[in-house]
Amino acid sequence: MSDINKLDLIGFAINSTRDVFQTMLSMKLNVIESRLPMKSPNKIVGCVSFAGDVMGNICVHVPTPFARVMTAAMLGMELDEVEDEGEISDVIGEVSNMIGGDLKSRLCDAGFPCQLSIPSITRGNDFVIESKGWMRHERFAFQQEGHLAMVEVFIKTVN
Amino acid sequence: MALKVLAVDDSKTIRKIVAKAFSAYDCVVIEAENGVEGLSVVSRDKPDLIVLDITMPVMNGIEMLSKLKGQPELKDIPVIMLTAESGKDNVMQIVKMGVKDYMVKPFKGEQLIERVTKIFTLEPKGTTAVNEFSSPFFSVYEDIQVLTLPEKADRSTVAEIEGNFGMAIKSMAAKGLSRFILNANKTKEINMLVVKLITSIVQTCEKNRIHLRFVGSAGLAAELKGFEETSGFAIHSSVADAKATF
Repeated sequence: MSDINKLDLIGFAINSTRDVFQTMLSMKLNVIESRLPMKSPNKIVGCVSFAGDVMGNICVHVPTPFARVMTAAMLGMELDEVEDEGEISDVIGEVSNMIGGDLKSRLCDAGFPCQLSIPSITRGNDFVIESKGWMRHERFAFQQEGHLAMVEVFIKTVN
Repeated sequence: MALKVLAVDDSKTIRKIVAKAFSAYDCVVIEAENGVEGLSVVSRDKPDLIVLDITMPVMNGIEMLSKLKGQPELKDIPVIMLTAESGKDNVMQIVKMGVKDYMVKPFKGEQLIERVTKIFTLEPKGTTAVNEFSSPFFSVYEDIQVLTLPEKADRSTVAEIEGNFGMAIKSMAAKGLSRFILNANKTKEINMLVVKLITSIVQTCEKNRIHLRFVGSAGLAAELKGFEETSGFAIHSSVADAKATF
């Protein structure tokens, strides 16, 4: 087993996020490394957890207007055709699942076998997810045509 | 004969992407949202191909595949696995289970079609005569297209009807038909899935300038009145009665 502190978690997460947005949404992202939590009056957060030799969460924070843009892009719809809130949640959940699935695979290949959960969605106004007791906490923000979103990774080994 | 494809994924988004990928071809895509539902659809509909997700609630794709491979009459249905996990252990596990192919998410619809064409020859839509369209739920009665809803419509049945409905509309256009009867006389339970299906049919018929009539029991008429979307529908007691009103 390698040292979890030496893993390039942020690099993994950035590459996965770029790949998912490019392939599924045909969007190129401008990545901004950031330590600040994203503040948005209204946002959707998609999270997947992994558990095994490592435990962790990966959360994708998306302001609601951008989530609608993502839903339209992923489903090949016009923006004004996106009406179903469940559809938006499903898209954000699936994006989180793909980013989390890729990160989980990299952790397994690095000697940290673990299993992936199904995604969960949190919606609300002006909230911040605080998490304690993790060995690593990485975060980056990205921009896409004026929209700002964020990916967070929390991770710790289990002994 | 259209290729029958079953998409099993808990994400409606992925099921839509799969359905869209096949929409240019002579295929019918039916859907299930977990392994239990998937096995039930496989037993009932005997699809030609299964596109199967791994991480799902209730029953995951690995368990569904394992149960499928345990049934002699179903074990030879080709399966393409969809997984968000590209790790080598995961891939090895999938390959050992005898799947035809696998795809790692994120993926494009064209990539899925490329994999499928290694197993089947896909006919572009339009090369098969639309008149060949057939489904247990659809029939033509004296130049009127009739959709007879089943006794009980679960999610997968509704998805199948929705898929076939598009073909029925095309078939009607090809035959120059403009009258449609939705017969719910057999239907014992009206749930939100059925209401959504009916409202979607109403909208499509309006868009395509198709004259629509409803057939159902008095009980059904009362039930439909309880839903905002269907409260204004006039219900006829038989197909013949409905036909007389055109």
